Amino acid sequence: MHIFLLLGLVLCSILAVFFSDLLKAAISLAGASVFLALVLFEMGATYAGVFEISVVAGLITVLFIATISLTEKKEDAKHNKRMRLLFPLVFIGFILIDVLVMSQYLVKLSSLAGPAETGVFGQVFWGGRTFDLVAQIAIILAGVFCVLALFRKRSGDE
Amino acid sequence: MSIPFIAVPLILASIMPLIGKISKRFLPDLLTNTAFLFLLLYSVFAGRQTLLNGADVWKAWWFGEALNITLVLDGFSALMLLTISLIGLSVALYSINYMEHYEAKANFYALLLIMIAGMNGLVLSNDVFTLYLFLEVAAIASYGLIAFGLQRDQLEASLKYLLLSSVATAFILLSIAIVFGLTGSLQLDKIAEGISASNGLPVAGFCMALFIMGFGLKAAIVPFHAWLPDAHSSAPAPISAMLSGVLIKVSGIYALTRVCFTIFGMQGGLGQVLMLLGIVSILIGAIQALGQNDIKRMLAFSSISQIGYIILGLGVGTPLGILGAMFHLFNHAIAKGLLFLNSGALEQATGTRELDRMGGLARKMPITAGTSVVGSLAIAGVPPLNGFWSKLLILLALVEAKYYGLALIAALAGILTLWYYLIIQRRAFFGKLNETWNHITEAPFWMSFSVLLLATACVLIGLLFPAVILDWIKPAADTFAAGISQTIGLLGF
Repeated sequence: MHIFLLLGLVLCSILAVFFSDLLKAAISLAGASVFLALVLFEMGATYAGVFEISVVAGLITVLFIATISLTEKKEDAKHNKRMRLLFPLVFIGFILIDVLVMSQYLVKLSSLAGPAETGVFGQVFWGGRTFDLVAQIAIILAGVFCVLALFRKRSGDE
Repeated sequence: MSIPFIAVPLILASIMPLIGKISKRFLPDLLTNTAFLFLLLYSVFAGRQTLLNGADVWKAWWFGEALNITLVLDGFSALMLLTISLIGLSVALYSINYMEHYEAKANFYALLLIMIAGMNGLVLSNDVFTLYLFLEVAAIASYGLIAFGLQRDQLEASLKYLLLSSVATAFILLSIAIVFGLTGSLQLDKIAEGISASNGLPVAGFCMALFIMGFGLKAAIVPFHAWLPDAHSSAPAPISAMLSGVLIKVSGIYALTRVCFTIFGMQGGLGQVLMLLGIVSILIGAIQALGQNDIKRMLAFSSISQIGYIILGLGVGTPLGILGAMFHLFNHAIAKGLLFLNSGALEQATGTRELDRMGGLARKMPITAGTSVVGSLAIAGVPPLNGFWSKLLILLALVEAKYYGLALIAALAGILTLWYYLIIQRRAFFGKLNETWNHITEAPFWMSFSVLLLATACVLIGLLFPAVILDWIKPAADTFAAGISQTIGLLGF
């Protein structure tokens, strides 16, 4: 199960980088966030999962899509072949560092106090973090009003 | 009950575009200013209640079910709420006339109200993740407000601020994640217990460094100040006043002190680090302000210098130092708000921000000139204005703690401050009137009224400073000095 979720996360992340269409890239990123949140739930980090799914998968994706839908589609940018080769190299380097360094760090963390604030998704989301929902509504409003304010001339011209 | 501080601006902001459809100017102006007046009066009432009854912990209920919304209003929060509401009201009054030549006034007010809701939420939160979320609320609204004029320099400044602010939030979020991993909690008081029980783990010091970098970037402390001169000088004048007067203090100084001092206390050389950052900010801000020709950039660099004084006072860590820092935070918000609003009046009248092209404007704009003199002298620390007392308290705290060298540098930097503010006055308002400006007139009524309000506050606070200190500043400093042990007791942990 973990492997399946991890593969989904990596696949969606790679697609988010490789899609030249911004809308598809944003949706892939949201997919990656959902997979990451599921990984976090599976591993018992309910809080982190709640934050990931509510902030990244939900809120940021809404803002991305709103902004992208307001921008004009221009001709495809020229892709630099070197940049395309660079990504797999960075990715492999990252995996190596992750295996060598982060695995040791995680061993150290296990000796620390375990998270006390845990629970199922519903409890944490609706019961434990109610105030965050108010803040998230405010963030959505801020994002929407920013888009309305900054794109007002464009909509006026059209 | 503290929820109106968040609910009123948020609800009004959410319906503001609809109101803007009904009435483009009158209703948005009226409702926004009424909301700000209510918030100011309510913050005075809440502050008095806190003074009489101690800290207030408010929990939300929904049809008999307890919701996990806990707002903590103590002396420190009350002072910040008063500052936000006072500058907010002045800015809203000023915007009645100033924002006339911008489109979409209702959207402007909506973003302004959301920024206020974000700052109020940040101030009332006792949970480090909620604090972070409200920090983002205020930040996102401020990106939109800086770029509101849609000019190239405004968009560039907004983007620069967004990028550097994202770095700051990355530091803050990383630190929150590590602290959560260490202690298993996100509540400030519980984290403090967990950190003290962890017995000086090196990772705790790493978290402290991340918080200082993150909130330091938000507060524009040197060397994290690169974004501020562009952002504060490019934004519309009322927003510059909000950013320099309030936002950097709430999302920078308040959040830094609340989080760092509550969680880590004054251990691990935190005081020394803050004093060093403070004195460097004072000097670099003042020296860079001297070389500016753009009035708003000069004021922006001055903000960096004055933030340095606040950080220096906090770094001393003695009750007197903290008292001076809190008082200077309040005084600088009022005086710098006033000066930025005046710079907007000058820019609107002359079409320029360059001091070289101004001159002799006092004859044409007596209210703007008079209030500018008051604001400048207040920030420079000239008696009997408010800034004099707060700087005096900081200097006395430094001398009392035997930091004679720092006290001397801070005092000399005060002379530099007076110097560059006198440059502004001389080049903009006095001397021979530039013939180009023969046609200009004083700023419109509401713009003049709002700066008169702030100038009066500068004078009255200076004259009545013992009462202000006893009723507002000392409770804030006491709360800060005592950490949140008072709140811990109230919450029953």
